[in-house]
Amino acid sequence: MSKEKALVEKIERKFGVKGKAERKRIWINIRKENMIDLCRYLKELGFEHLSAISVTDFIKRGKYELVYVVWSYHDNIAIIVKSEIEREKPVISSVTEIWKESAQIHERELHELFGVEFEGNADLSELFLENWKESPPFRKDFNWREYVGKKYYYKQDEKEKIYLEAGI
Amino acid sequence: MSHENVKERELFFGPAHPGSGNFCVKLMVDGEKVLSARADPGYLHRGFEKLMEYRDTMQNAVLSDRICVFEPLAWNLVHAEAVDGLMGVDVPERASYIRVIMAELSRIQSHLIWYGGMSMGIGFDTGFKMAFGYRDYILDIFELITGGRVYPAGYICPGGVRKDMPDTAREKILDVLKRIDEIKMLEKFENPTLLPRLKNVGVLELKDTIRLGATGFVMRASGMRTDVRKDDSYEVYDQLDFDIPIQNDGDAYSRFLVGIREIEESIKIIRQALDELPKGRLKPIKPKLSTKIPEGEIYIRNEVARGEAAMHMVSDGTGSPYRCKIRGPSFLHMIPVLEYLLKGVQIADVPAIYWSLNPCPADMDR
Repeated sequence: MSKEKALVEKIERKFGVKGKAERKRIWINIRKENMIDLCRYLKELGFEHLSAISVTDFIKRGKYELVYVVWSYHDNIAIIVKSEIEREKPVISSVTEIWKESAQIHERELHELFGVEFEGNADLSELFLENWKESPPFRKDFNWREYVGKKYYYKQDEKEKIYLEAGI
Repeated sequence: MSHENVKERELFFGPAHPGSGNFCVKLMVDGEKVLSARADPGYLHRGFEKLMEYRDTMQNAVLSDRICVFEPLAWNLVHAEAVDGLMGVDVPERASYIRVIMAELSRIQSHLIWYGGMSMGIGFDTGFKMAFGYRDYILDIFELITGGRVYPAGYICPGGVRKDMPDTAREKILDVLKRIDEIKMLEKFENPTLLPRLKNVGVLELKDTIRLGATGFVMRASGMRTDVRKDDSYEVYDQLDFDIPIQNDGDAYSRFLVGIREIEESIKIIRQALDELPKGRLKPIKPKLSTKIPEGEIYIRNEVARGEAAMHMVSDGTGSPYRCKIRGPSFLHMIPVLEYLLKGVQIADVPAIYWSLNPCPADMDR
């Protein structure tokens, strides 16, 4: 049995979840209540490098999917943990106590771009944007064409209007 | 407020500092000593992750050039692999070899920019001029093969590469590699200038690297033997023979040395890849309209010159990705790592530490 298979079965037994093993990748879906426990367990197993945190906005289902990618320098496997939260009230516990500063900065970025609240993250101040008052810009329902048009084109150059109206 | 009582001052390193690029670090200083540092990114935030949701694969291949200004071909490769993986395409072996050759050439020229930037930051102008001069030879190869000197406009695209290498490319590459070797002669000027400025400056211990999210050459300079090309091999890297150079001190000089050794390793890889390049002629890939990406998701990791690059792509079966998360190595190196390293140093050491992390504001902000 491959290393990935053995590992995914171990996690499945412990947390009662369904996982998928591929070459060097393991995908796991888990309820958000058990997410922190799983993350702690993975850290103990040696998955100490947090490669990325991402959010996918499933607007039709009204859900945000949080994606945590962790890497083990010992086993050379990446585990991708996915957990769904409500889109309208996106709150989830922070993983800063597990993966420290590297988690902190990823969460700060996602708070700004998607508006996710990470409970327990001390610093969620603005990162890339400055004095942003609109809805978080990476949400699927943020109309960037309208925003750019209103903010930059209409006022400055009448000719620019054509790009906006053509919807390019 | 009386000016006599002011002890701490805020000093902006960037975004208009000649050595900083489009990035700013706010330093709280007391005299010459830096008390704390806070990174202020965002000057190059173009929102690629969002832009890609509105474009088809071929447009995204061109867009992926711009993720990192210094190594467009490496990011081309990350994007192309993500789409290939989702589509289940088997890339022709010859195309795979060409991808590796281009990615390694890109790594060398990126390291030369780093060498130049670092030399400029600490006042070693000879190194700056030499490195940028030698980089130009590689840009000539890029022009010959891709048509663009800096931006290849999606040369490495889903399915392989846009067009095969011209017949003259092999000789030209070998000739340029011989010249790049000449940069070793700089060693005899290097030591008196670089050593005192870089040795024991900005020390990052191994125990702190993982916590801060450091990857790539930063970890290797702290004594960890790790490389995505070996650990999570992609393309044909598992068939090529190369070493992972490491250093144990974790200071700016170690990072610099790792960079120099990596240039040598890349040269080794390119020579092998050229020898083992399968015969034949690749068909050019033309942009096709309405290419659908099958439903699914994928996580791709690559080793670019700056560390671990990754892309998480989710597709819902349309022509554009539903979500495309880009992980830039500089995002971690320039915010948590830099803030940590700058605490308590002298102002004069700031450019040396900053450049020793091989920063790219473009892949930090994305």
